[in-house]
Parts: sequence; C-alpha cells; structure tokens
Amino acid sequence: MPDTSDNLIQVQGLKKWFPVQKGFIERLVTRQRQFVHAVDGVDFNIRRGEVFGLAGESGSGKTTTGRLILHLVEPTEGNIIFDGVDMSTLSNEEIRRMRQRMQVIFQDPFASMNPRMKTGDAIGHSLEIFGVAKGEEKRRRVLEMMEHVELTPAHVLYDKFPHQLSGGQRQRVVIARALMLHPDMIVADEPIAMADVSVRAMLLELMVQLKREFNLTYLFITHDLATAKYICDRIAIMYLGLICEMGTLEQVYRNPQHPYTQALLAAVPVPDPHARRTAPMPKGEIPSPITPPPGCRFHPRCPIAQEICSQESPLLQSVPGDEGHLVACHLVK
Amino acid sequence: MSEPVLQLHNLSVDYPTRVGVVRGVDNVSMTVNRGEVLGLVGESGCGKSTLGAAIMRLLRPPGKIVGGEIVFNGQDLIKLDKEAMRHLRGAHISMIFQDPMTCLNPLQRVSDHVVETIQTHHPEVKKEEAREQAAKLIDRLGIRAERIDDYPHQLSGGMRQRVMIGLALALNADLIIADEPTTSLDVIVEAQFLDQLRDLQRQFNLTIILITHNIGVVAELADRVAVMYAGKLMELADVFPLFDDPLHPYTRGLLNSVPNINLTEDNLQIMSGSPPDLIDPPPGCKFHPRCPNAMERCKTQEPPFKEVQPGRWAACWLYGE
Repeated sequence: MPDTSDNLIQVQGLKKWFPVQKGFIERLVTRQRQFVHAVDGVDFNIRRGEVFGLAGESGSGKTTTGRLILHLVEPTEGNIIFDGVDMSTLSNEEIRRMRQRMQVIFQDPFASMNPRMKTGDAIGHSLEIFGVAKGEEKRRRVLEMMEHVELTPAHVLYDKFPHQLSGGQRQRVVIARALMLHPDMIVADEPIAMADVSVRAMLLELMVQLKREFNLTYLFITHDLATAKYICDRIAIMYLGLICEMGTLEQVYRNPQHPYTQALLAAVPVPDPHARRTAPMPKGEIPSPITPPPGCRFHPRCPIAQEICSQESPLLQSVPGDEGHLVACHLVK
Repeated sequence: MSEPVLQLHNLSVDYPTRVGVVRGVDNVSMTVNRGEVLGLVGESGCGKSTLGAAIMRLLRPPGKIVGGEIVFNGQDLIKLDKEAMRHLRGAHISMIFQDPMTCLNPLQRVSDHVVETIQTHHPEVKKEEAREQAAKLIDRLGIRAERIDDYPHQLSGGMRQRVMIGLALALNADLIIADEPTTSLDVIVEAQFLDQLRDLQRQFNLTIILITHNIGVVAELADRVAVMYAGKLMELADVFPLFDDPLHPYTRGLLNSVPNINLTEDNLQIMSGSPPDLIDPPPGCKFHPRCPNAMERCKTQEPPFKEVQPGRWAACWLYGE
C-alpha cells in the first residue's frame, strides 16, 4: 500500500476556461465573452506509486486535466503541486527540467512519432535534448530500454521507421520513449484506445509490469471503464469539467453513488450475451460546456433529480461510512 | 422457418498492390436469415468491412470481387449491372457507417436527406408527401419534430447516427449493413443507440449485419455471430453457444482478451503474436502461428469451414475432417 501522506501530485481548485472564438461581426455586436468551461474546479491527489484513473465521456475535461498537469496548457485558476513544488512558481526553464520527471503517452502512436525518425533515434531523442547521453552510450541505453518494452529484436527494430512497425510496436516505442529519462510519473491519455483487442491486453500488461520495474506513478486517462478496471488503483469520474465521484476502484465500481457513475457503468457493453443490459439509460447527451446547466451539472439528465439539484452545485464530499470514497450529489446521505 | 435474405457462396475479394495481391476476403460462405442480427466480428484488417462493402458492391478500387456469389433475395448481385445495383442500394440494402458526420451532406438539412432518398427511388412521390414521411420517420427515431430542418452540424453525434438509421429505414430495406455504427459514440449514447436499434429491429423484423470490433456490442445485440480472421471465417454460431463454449481457438483467445467491467472477472489472457501480413499469409490455417492447439497438419493444410455441430460452423482441424 502506498503511504497515504505521500502525494506526488496535488491538484487544487484547478480550472481551465478556453475563450470561444467568434466571428468579427459577432464580436462587434456582443460584448460578452464566452468560455468553454473545460475544467471547472477539480481537486485530487495522486499518491506516489499508484495508478490514478481519470474517466469520463468526451467533453468531460479529462484530457485537459492531463494537459494541465503536464503544464502543456496554463491553468486559468488553481494549483498543481508536483512533489511538493507549486508548478505556478516555476520559471519556464524550471518547468522544462521538471518535464524530465513527467512524461506523456498519447492515444495515437503514429501521430506522436516523427515519420522520418528511426525508432532508436526517436526513443533516444530525449537523452540528447537533456544532455544525458549521446552516441554509443545513447544507443546502448536505447537498446536496453527496447528489451524492457519487448521491442525485439531490438537491434533490427532500432533502424526501422514508424510506418514499418505494427500498431502495437509503435505504442511500445512511445512507451519506451517516455521511460528513457526515468520519470516519476507518466500521464497516459487513452494509451490503448487505438489498439486491437488482442494487442490491448498485451499493452496493459506491459504498462503494469513497467510500473513495477521503474517504480512509476500513472495518471491513466480513459473513456473505457472496462479497461480502467485492469490497471487503476483509484479512479475519478468526470462530467462537464467536474469530478462527480472518486474513490478506489472497488468503491466506485462496486458501490457507485452518483447517478451518472451508475449510468456510465451500466452502459458499458459486457462481452456476455447472458448479461444483456436492462437498465434504462439517461436521456440526451452531455450538454455544452460553454453554458453548463446551473446546480448539479447532471440534473437535466438525472433520473432522481430534486429541486435542490437545479439550484445548488453539490460539493465533492465523503460518502458516509466509506472512507476515501467521495461523491458530489445532494441526494447521497 | 428461417428464410435466407442473403447467401454468400465462396466469396473472395482481392486487392492488387505494388508488392503483391492481398486477399482481403477469402472464400467466405454464409447465410443471413430474415429478421436476424448477424454480428460480424474481428480485429482490424481481418476483412469484415471489406466483406460489408463487397455485398454492397462498393469496394474501393483496386479492390475487386474475384470469385463467388452474393445471392440476395434469390438474385446474384455480382451479375447485376451498375444501374440495377444502384436501384438496389438504399431501397433494398442500406448501409450505416461509423462516422455519420462524413456520411451526411453538411449543406443539406435532415429533411432533405430523407426526401432525396425517397425521391431517388420513387420519383413519383411528391416532395410534400416525402416530407411527411420524413417527419414520421424522425419522430419514430425520437428526434424532436422541429429538428427536421436542422443541418448535420447542429445535431449531436447520437442524433446524427439516428438520422443514418432513418435513412436506412426510409424505404424499408430488406437488409441493413451497419459497419461499426457505435464506434464514434460515447458509451451512454452508444447504449441509447443500441436500445433503439434493438427496438426498431424487433418492431420491423429488420435483418441486420452488424460489423464491429467491439465484442460487447455483439453480445448485446446479435442473434448469431461470425468471427473473421485474416480474411476468412473462423467460426459461426448462435450468440449464446459461441460465448459459452467457443469452438475455434481464435474465438476463445479473442473472447478471453476482452476487458469485462464485472469485478468478478480475473486477469485478461493474452494472445501472443499479431495477425498475419496478408501479402504473405502463413500456409495452412492462417491462425496456426498463434494457435495454442496447433498440430502438424495445421501448418500445411487449410481446414475447411464446415458445420461441425448442428448450427455451428468452424474452420479448424480440431473438429475432424
């Protein structure tokens, strides 16, 4: 069990609003500026050595949260504390240094690789950028890492270009590249969503194994709750820029408290025709993050909404009698 | 009892490329009966979408049908000329694609799409009549009447996909081919869509070929399931026996590697290797290099696809000659 006081990442009151681009005339006519409330005040901690899942549908703000943590976009409000250091106090150079300790894996390995760069050079690029190693030393380290991620035979694949690799191999290259600087943390944004079923299982297994070997902490961003189950220790469910429920995987999956979480879990198609879903689905789709509904953001679709739900925004609070399990719902008592 | 709508006999599709010929669909035979949902599953590159496009005679060049028969309501589609095929498409066989945004004309309103579909096949129908039919259809799909004159970009992803079903249903097609219809949808919207598709299917006794890589979606909706690998059918059976007791080692491996949300489930099992390069496929059974049960003869002789138990087909030497 990871030490509970030992947080690698603390996210406090994090917000990111993107201004809405308007046409020229519209800008003249309307004074009011509009914003996409991509992330609208989230708090969570990621403990050293855990896999923290961030799940939700498209438009929930999970990817933006990941990008904020990597400091790829500036927060509108709130703080990100990485290993005790408030990121907002750092200079650009210090943030660049910090990136050695925080790496990212994106969904589409083909899009995140330079098509003209050989596998080995791509994996070892960060060593050169940060002046860690070059030449023969770089090659040695890259080959070693390629063995770790089972990119074998390493010396053959070293000189291949991305288009010569299979989808699974490409994602292994991206994983190897992320690990070269021995980071503390990896933000994995839908890392296996593009892979085929049989490759998916292999990549998941690899990620779990590497986490142990390299003593990593993961932020695992996914829309796929079934996949999250195989890797996450704790999970937060996001809806329209806010966390609606958070807890250990067991707590959230076995005993979901928020009506949205319940619907989301019920909606996942189960690979068993005996277990066909009978639960009705909430109506409609996720509303626009430009004008999120007042009160609880889920209330227009919620099957059990009361009057209070459309008026007051519920806070993320402990579920009584279930330590560490938090939910933002007026109706959970 | 079961009336065949579509019968494929030894259908093969080739893609000639610079480096060699890729056999995208290899000698596929199967029957689709009226009123059933046939799930067609497999990993990317297995030929499931190519098979769907071949039935519609909509293969992208250089892909072409090199053998076999596609018998639809007693008529071999391969023998039809372009014009006859055009009359069939949309009216008798319809298709629903993965990404509704690229299939709808961004400059046409929802109503125009439906009216165009109806009038193309029935030029005698007046515009007002067609619009009325469109309104009824839209209503049946649970889209509010005032949305009928919206443009595709004004609709949500789920609504767009419902418009696509609407277009498929507009002329009461005998067969609907749905190619990854829920892949671009979020999970709750996907569930809503599947509910609706199931309701419509029961209500109108629709015949659907559901092409998908998502095993969960197949389990949710299909009556029978066909499993494809490297252009070949590996197994075909009713959905319950297929999931309860898969016969082909590939089906077994595939089902065991699917993430399941139920917490009772244990670890995922990993299928080693990856699908073969179809320019240079392995001899014998295409799955033998990855097969845990491979025998000597699997390496050289290709197993026939045949009925190994009543109602269950498989291409595997484990089930004898």
